[in-house]
Amino acid sequence: MHGTPMHTQRTLMTMFGKPSCLLVAMALVGLAGCGTTPPASFRANFVEATKQRLTPEQEQQVATILLAMFGTPDDPVALPETGLDEAKLKLCAGPVRSDIVGRKNGLYREHCAHCHGITGDGMGPTAAFLNPYPRDYRPGVFKFKSTERSDKPTHADLVRILHNGIAGTSMPSFALLSEVQVDALVEYVKYLSMRGETELALVRQFFELDDDAQGRLPETREFLVDETLTPIAERWKAAADARIAVPEMPADVDLATSIAKGRELFYGDKANCVKCHGPTALGDGQANDYDDWNKAIVEWSKEVAGDKDSDWVSKAGRVLAGDALRPRTIPPRNLRHGIYRGGRRPLDLYYRIHAGINGAPMPAAKGTVAPEDIWHIVNYIRSLPYEFDGELGVDRPMVAKDRF
Amino acid sequence: MSLMRLRPVIVVGTLLACGCGRGRLPSPEPQAQAAQKIRASIVGASAADETTAEGAATGTGWATLKGRFVFAGDAGQPKALVVDKDTEVCGKSSKLYDRSLRVDASTKGLADVVVFVRKSSRVKAPVPDTPLVFDQKNCEFLTTVFAARVGQPIDVKNSDPVGHNTNVAGTSFNQLIPSGGGTIFQPAAETGMPVMVTCNIHPWMKAYAVFRKDGYVAVSAKDGSFSIPDLPAGELLEFQVWHERSTGPNGALGLQKPDVKWTPKGRFQIKLEDDEVKDLGTLEVPAAAIGT
Repeated sequence: MHGTPMHTQRTLMTMFGKPSCLLVAMALVGLAGCGTTPPASFRANFVEATKQRLTPEQEQQVATILLAMFGTPDDPVALPETGLDEAKLKLCAGPVRSDIVGRKNGLYREHCAHCHGITGDGMGPTAAFLNPYPRDYRPGVFKFKSTERSDKPTHADLVRILHNGIAGTSMPSFALLSEVQVDALVEYVKYLSMRGETELALVRQFFELDDDAQGRLPETREFLVDETLTPIAERWKAAADARIAVPEMPADVDLATSIAKGRELFYGDKANCVKCHGPTALGDGQANDYDDWNKAIVEWSKEVAGDKDSDWVSKAGRVLAGDALRPRTIPPRNLRHGIYRGGRRPLDLYYRIHAGINGAPMPAAKGTVAPEDIWHIVNYIRSLPYEFDGELGVDRPMVAKDRF
Repeated sequence: MSLMRLRPVIVVGTLLACGCGRGRLPSPEPQAQAAQKIRASIVGASAADETTAEGAATGTGWATLKGRFVFAGDAGQPKALVVDKDTEVCGKSSKLYDRSLRVDASTKGLADVVVFVRKSSRVKAPVPDTPLVFDQKNCEFLTTVFAARVGQPIDVKNSDPVGHNTNVAGTSFNQLIPSGGGTIFQPAAETGMPVMVTCNIHPWMKAYAVFRKDGYVAVSAKDGSFSIPDLPAGELLEFQVWHERSTGPNGALGLQKPDVKWTPKGRFQIKLEDDEVKDLGTLEVPAAAIGT
């Protein structure tokens, strides 16, 4: 080759030795890898798949079934059983772009994916830097809702979170989006959640297989839709009718009395708020517990540490490093800040105390504490940022810098 | 081959391995054609819904399965638990120990092994209305492992002078249980393997629960013995065995037995005759089957 100066060729040869076809091919693949943007794809739930010791073939079967049932991040599919509106999903899916009439598309990737991830696994690029971590939708568990602990949030509950954001976290308000856009995004979050729940169910189903199934899930409508997807979708549909019935705040008690009663309950054995939120209500009672998402990683790490199968342990180690965030404890809320993640209306606090917080250690008071007593606790909690407490030496709202 | 000559391969190989993915496992590639076929088969109406009822052979009589688990290794001394909350009450009447491997010193019996039927066609007794009592005292659950039927009321009580909460994993049940109080919990769905029951106020408290529709489930007693009565005779039953500390998948306990074949998933199959009382005899659990 006349075009290639001899010395360059020689330098390359000294650097890399004699170039071989294999080497050139590898280098080409390497160069192509990072430069081009491959179509977006959903990431497998490696934590659960590795926990359940799936083989690569089984992992691939799950991916194939999910592609059939839910499509891709660019081209979502909503089977009729999900009850989801595919048109809304299309508005959120795909890359950020405008359609022919100038309507914005790709809303999820524009507003949500950098924290919650393309897959809704709460592992977007920013996730590791946020505290608390963004929600992982895949287990289908949501904290702030108007329904009982075991029920799904209503559509309106999720719309409210998008409108207001979550105070005290990195979740901002999306009140500037149009109603149509917020509605579509909520639909898309439900879609990612149902997809994640279906994936979890499928991955766990391998253990339930009979031995003669030869380690493959049945690919029938009966198994995939009737037994797996439909029960998941039905729970989402049922949420609309599962709202907690809240009685009126007792009108015959004046506020000071109600607050005093609430205080008694807070410190008393029945409601027992003091055990976790602390005798000062600064949230320093029970500081070493985890929420369900983090606890799953903590428990599994212990299992990995105690296992003797070195191949599996090395895979699990890679999964823990690449597909899980470092577990963090969940501090009980500091009630003297006046910052309430699930909303600051008295009604929101009533829901939190009545049903507890799903996925978090906060237990439900329902059945143990009478509805009017829950209202007294709500009133006391709302007074806490302004409570004078001689013992604490606090005579003004507690702010973060005073705590340390 | 010298390392020098391998160097280029190492350089490019390392770049490839850590270049884009930063060591994350590549997600499995779905098979597009296979996915299309699956989608075609799942879109549309359910085919022959009612006619798929299995005509599995079953008799009319009932039978019993029993046996006794013994631990073949040295269980050692149980570890004392770290009790750092409500210390004026918790662990006061007796010291609290780890209960994840309860081996009876005299009989070597292994307690808290769960045996249940995976699928059955008939049930003799209806779901009982009398509540099953699940109590806590001295900041310890009084039952280590318990079984209930789906829909059976469970009276979750608290006999301690301090408040607890009872949190049943996988069920969304997490309620405050005040001192001397209680609440009724009715499990709504089956658990696959047993699920953990905890108290978030006292993190050392731990128990396990298993909920089954048919109630064909037994938890081995202190001497390791278990018995499941009123099993449907005349059909092939598959049993699942579990222990908290088992090294098997999801806690499945698989044993080597010459007469009954156990799978690595901790399952064995048996067909029982009418009124038969099948005794599996002494089931030896080797030390290697129990992990840390």
